[in-house]
Amino acid sequence: MRVVIAEDLALLREGVVALLRENEIEVVAQVEDGPGLLRAIAGHQPDLAIVDVRLPPTFSDEGLRAAIEARRRQPALGVLVLSQYVETAYASELIGDNTAGIGYLLKERVGDVRAFLDALRRVADGGTVLDRQVVTQLLAPREGASDALTSLTAREREVLELMAEGRSNAAIAENLVVTAGAVEKHITNIFAKLDLGACEDDHRRVLAVLAYLRVARSAPS
Amino acid sequence: MSERAPIAAQVPVSAPLRPRRWMPALAAELSLGQYARFLMRRLAALTAVLLAAIWALGGQGYFWPAWAWLGLIVPVLLDFTASWAWRHPPGAVRRVACVWALVSVAATILIMTWLLTRLLAGVSEFWPTWALLGLATAGSGYSLIALHDRVLVARGRRALRARIDLLTRTRRQAVDAQAAELRRIERDLHDGAQARLVALTLQLGRAEMRVDGQPEVRRLIHNAQREAHHAIAELRDLARGIVPPLLADRGLVAAVQSLAGRYGLGIAIEADIDRSLSPAVERAAYFVIAEAITNTAKHAGAHHSWVCLSHDGRALLVLVGDDGCGGADPSGAGLAGLRARVEALDGSLTVASPGGGGTVVEVSIPCA
Repeated sequence: MRVVIAEDLALLREGVVALLRENEIEVVAQVEDGPGLLRAIAGHQPDLAIVDVRLPPTFSDEGLRAAIEARRRQPALGVLVLSQYVETAYASELIGDNTAGIGYLLKERVGDVRAFLDALRRVADGGTVLDRQVVTQLLAPREGASDALTSLTAREREVLELMAEGRSNAAIAENLVVTAGAVEKHITNIFAKLDLGACEDDHRRVLAVLAYLRVARSAPS
Repeated sequence: MSERAPIAAQVPVSAPLRPRRWMPALAAELSLGQYARFLMRRLAALTAVLLAAIWALGGQGYFWPAWAWLGLIVPVLLDFTASWAWRHPPGAVRRVACVWALVSVAATILIMTWLLTRLLAGVSEFWPTWALLGLATAGSGYSLIALHDRVLVARGRRALRARIDLLTRTRRQAVDAQAAELRRIERDLHDGAQARLVALTLQLGRAEMRVDGQPEVRRLIHNAQREAHHAIAELRDLARGIVPPLLADRGLVAAVQSLAGRYGLGIAIEADIDRSLSPAVERAAYFVIAEAITNTAKHAGAHHSWVCLSHDGRALLVLVGDDGCGGADPSGAGLAGLRARVEALDGSLTVASPGGGGTVVEVSIPCA
């Protein structure tokens, strides 16, 4: 796997580069700003770009805009966006019409090394990985929210968050320290409560969840 | 004394005395006072002519009617100067004008008397010097004392105005500087402390991967990572409370849209802003809208709510409304806090919330 990193903080960038090299992932370019990212992608044709949302010179959403532009130019490119905070508006902009090969994670997820590397590989392979906080934010208690969302139990919400991260049933079971059978039961309940057709494929599951949440978010009950 | 001119202009001046006939009857268009003054002047002129005629017929000689003329001119002069003095606004200025009117009448009498003694009796010495000096000194002394306070007040008012201008300007600068500083702090928290903690968790994660078969060490590393995660989450919440990141990154409209999206209320947002706003204005408007939307969601029981943002060239106008139960207390702690936030920017906040008639919060914040 060939990776380009766009991150302006040297400390963090070097840490991620060291982590990737330790795990035999090739870092073909390290850049510090949006235009640099676009040049590096055009020059190196990587499989994956890891992009910080805030980059110089504006330090606003420069990285996000560069990532969206990079995907417009190369739809097959996997993009993993890292951010200090989760903003659902950014998630939906990033996903746009092309859901394949998208990741949106909080920066601190890099500390959970195995999960982070797993997320990298899934995004590079065309999967979708969303931070569990995206789900948390979408599910935040709010006036007028549909009964279906509030009817989820705490454990079901946890499962839903992990599903949004694109995890398999086995991974979810391991994470929550329960049996795979229990996870399956939770998922069946979630899909029933959210009125979604059950499906096995991890990627499609994420999208189904997202689609539901997006609809629930935009339409007043 | 020149500064009272604009004030004097505001005082109604009596209609000019211009009767059509030489000796009109007491008519409706002349007040009794005006008629008396008019009659006095005519009689004085008539008497002067009569006395001159008597002198001419009575064998001439020493021109005594000049002294009578002097006597006749005094009430006319007094009338003229008194009406001039009365045009001034009541108070110290009018009193000073009256004093100067008397001084000028006295001085005129003195000078005319000297002229007559010179012409009729051949006195060459200018004897009224000391009297005139005395009159001028007395008039000036009185003016100084009477107008002293007034000059002080005018000077005080000018100083006050300059002070208000200065305070208004520096307060705005302080508010702007504070907003810029808060935004800088938010960025520093994200890109400084938080980023270092992220780098720390990354190092810990790498360390954890290298530890083989030492569960105690792995557990310690895992705990350290969890603490770092808590610290990161706390920093993030702190930064969000200072300036919501979307507001800092994308501005007011995007932040309000995101805010409205977080409530499942179907809030209609209308935004017509064609310029970038200062951080202080954006921040104040954002927190007002956030508070108003929260109140709507909590208390109003509304079917529809809306946020309207516009700019009329001079001020940012914000309307947050709903069709709920109304009855919000404009003096409540929440709204009072918002009002203080807006007033610090010379803006205004009004709340219309009749019982059962919905609630509309209207905010205007001046900004070019």
